[in-house]
Amino acid sequence: MTERSKRDLSEERWRGLGVSEGYVIGRVLRVDNGNRQVYRASLDEVEIDRELERFQQALMGARQQLVAIKAKADQELGPEHAYLFDAHLLMLEDRNLRERVEDYIRREKANAEWALRVVTDDLLAAYSSVKDEYLRARGSDIEDVAQRILSALTGNKPQYANLARDAVIVSADLSPSAVAELDLQHARAITTDAGGWTSHTAIIARALRIPAVVGLRDLYRRTRTGDMIIVNSYAGEVVLHPTTATITSFQEEFAGREKPAGVATVGRGSGPLRTSDGVGIILRANVELPAEFESVLEFGARGIGLYRSEFLLSQEGVLLSEEEQYRAYVEVAQLAGTDGATIRLFDLGGEKLHAGFGGERNPALGLRAIRFGLRHEDVLRTQVRAILRAASHGRLDIVLPMVSDLSDVRRARAIIDEEKLRLAKEGSEIGDVKVGAMIEVPSAVVLARTLSTEVDFFSLGTNDLVQYMLAVDRGNDEVSDWFRSLHPSVLRSVVDVHLAAATAGIPTLVCGEMASTPAYAVVLIGLGATNLSMTPSAIPRVARVIGAVSQKDAHTIAQMCLACATPDEVEQTVREQFLAYWPQHFATDSLPVAKRL
Amino acid sequence: MIEKRVTVTNRLGLHARAAARLVQMANRFQSAVRLERLDDSVTADAKSILSVLMLAAARGTELSAKAEGTDEAEAMAALSDLFNNGFGEMESD
Repeated sequence: MTERSKRDLSEERWRGLGVSEGYVIGRVLRVDNGNRQVYRASLDEVEIDRELERFQQALMGARQQLVAIKAKADQELGPEHAYLFDAHLLMLEDRNLRERVEDYIRREKANAEWALRVVTDDLLAAYSSVKDEYLRARGSDIEDVAQRILSALTGNKPQYANLARDAVIVSADLSPSAVAELDLQHARAITTDAGGWTSHTAIIARALRIPAVVGLRDLYRRTRTGDMIIVNSYAGEVVLHPTTATITSFQEEFAGREKPAGVATVGRGSGPLRTSDGVGIILRANVELPAEFESVLEFGARGIGLYRSEFLLSQEGVLLSEEEQYRAYVEVAQLAGTDGATIRLFDLGGEKLHAGFGGERNPALGLRAIRFGLRHEDVLRTQVRAILRAASHGRLDIVLPMVSDLSDVRRARAIIDEEKLRLAKEGSEIGDVKVGAMIEVPSAVVLARTLSTEVDFFSLGTNDLVQYMLAVDRGNDEVSDWFRSLHPSVLRSVVDVHLAAATAGIPTLVCGEMASTPAYAVVLIGLGATNLSMTPSAIPRVARVIGAVSQKDAHTIAQMCLACATPDEVEQTVREQFLAYWPQHFATDSLPVAKRL
Repeated sequence: MIEKRVTVTNRLGLHARAAARLVQMANRFQSAVRLERLDDSVTADAKSILSVLMLAAARGTELSAKAEGTDEAEAMAALSDLFNNGFGEMESD
């Protein structure tokens, strides 16, 4: 009997998070992240110069490797992913890092490996205290760079250049540069024990359009290279040593499916998204940059719920001509397809829209958004004409930002109607455009019923609504404790606005980023929302949760929240109830924590 | 020494890519370039990516930029260009 066959090869299953869609039957290729144990050596005085020289050499060696990796990533992943290695190169060359390591070697008479470890750990500790989640995660980049220098110091580097055709990469935690060193054209799937939706593994797997499941806890140490494995990211499932029966049923299950695209989409082949009790929910995309357009389709958005048109204006004070805007909006209309796109008119202050416009003491409350357009009609008219013309190429709607009452709506609608007539007289082709109001100013919430009689739809902008409702500047850390999306007043506003719209028979779209957090999206649905727009990449994870919860339960919890007196009580209620109703769908760290209890 | 106020306007703030561009730019000049958050006085050496990332400057963060050296005017011009055009970002991630 061989050593191998003595292992228990019975079928085992793991549940994780599918972060890039698809399914694969293949063979395990174990990839360790190469992290090295480091020991301390004490140097004699005379050895120090040599150690410093050794460190220099290692930096140069690591640099050469990184330059090669960057070139490879550029080719295989595209420049938008290769940029990361620019950051790695700069970290490698960073005086801050180099000088601290050299100082440590001199002062402590330590070997370069130890000095690098100590300095890196210091830096990691500093990063772990940063408030921003994205930046906190950059600690892994620093560790990656440190590991590269360490491997250059010891002179060995991992080699996985030639993958077999059916290789499923199984790793505890893949560093970005380890991913880039792999022969990715041949990798069929990736799994890692660590990781989440925004990990490098997830991002890169989506770029490569290969399936990936992360968060598998201990899969890595239970596998050997060559083991048979099934990766099914639709179910977030991995099957190790599948039996023949499992493989057959798996092949049958997927025989009818289209080829996996490697991205998570909503409701593929299963019709529209519904809650578990059958309430239809529409998820649309918030978009501002052309580069995001592709992802709208990839992530399965039903059109564009919010196109932030001010991002067309890249330079302060320089406006685009009608023709330039027209071309941009045609692109948006075509991308959005039959589901259409809602274009928000420029939502900016005067300083951005008009060269020479004087500064304001309080720009958030100043001459901005629709107010600016009504003061400077030329700007508004140019944009409206471009949208009306572009709408002949696809479904486009207009939403008026920062409406305070009906007079803003009436004045804007009059201008839109005038431009319609003028374009018709000029013989230009125009499309049918609906006009809605952003509900983000408290007065618009209070007056939602009167507003609903003269607009075609409402867009509820939760970010600004929270800021204006609670009179809290969200950019000001001093008052961040007062910025509470789950404030009872905000929740009641959401209910009131939906009721007003329903009474008038017009739709309401919730388009603040609040909807992109699954727990908050469920709260919004409980409050009556059925139409949410969010950052495209959030759509799959929100869709997954929505499909698993019932609107009835969400409504019950929302009613309890509405009865709360303080935001703390709401947050506490959401946390407790979500864990009671849906423990399998909400990790404790995905739920709000009451801040001031 | 010249000093100028700049605001982080790109969506993801001074994250890895934007920070990389900033540091690459700053290193082209002889002048020392520093950034200071107006809200909490954390400062960074614009030639060090590790230092710039520690600013944790999200969109909307206001910074005071200081350049000092023989080419300080050019360095400041390049820096404010970079901030004004949102680091030339076209990507969503």
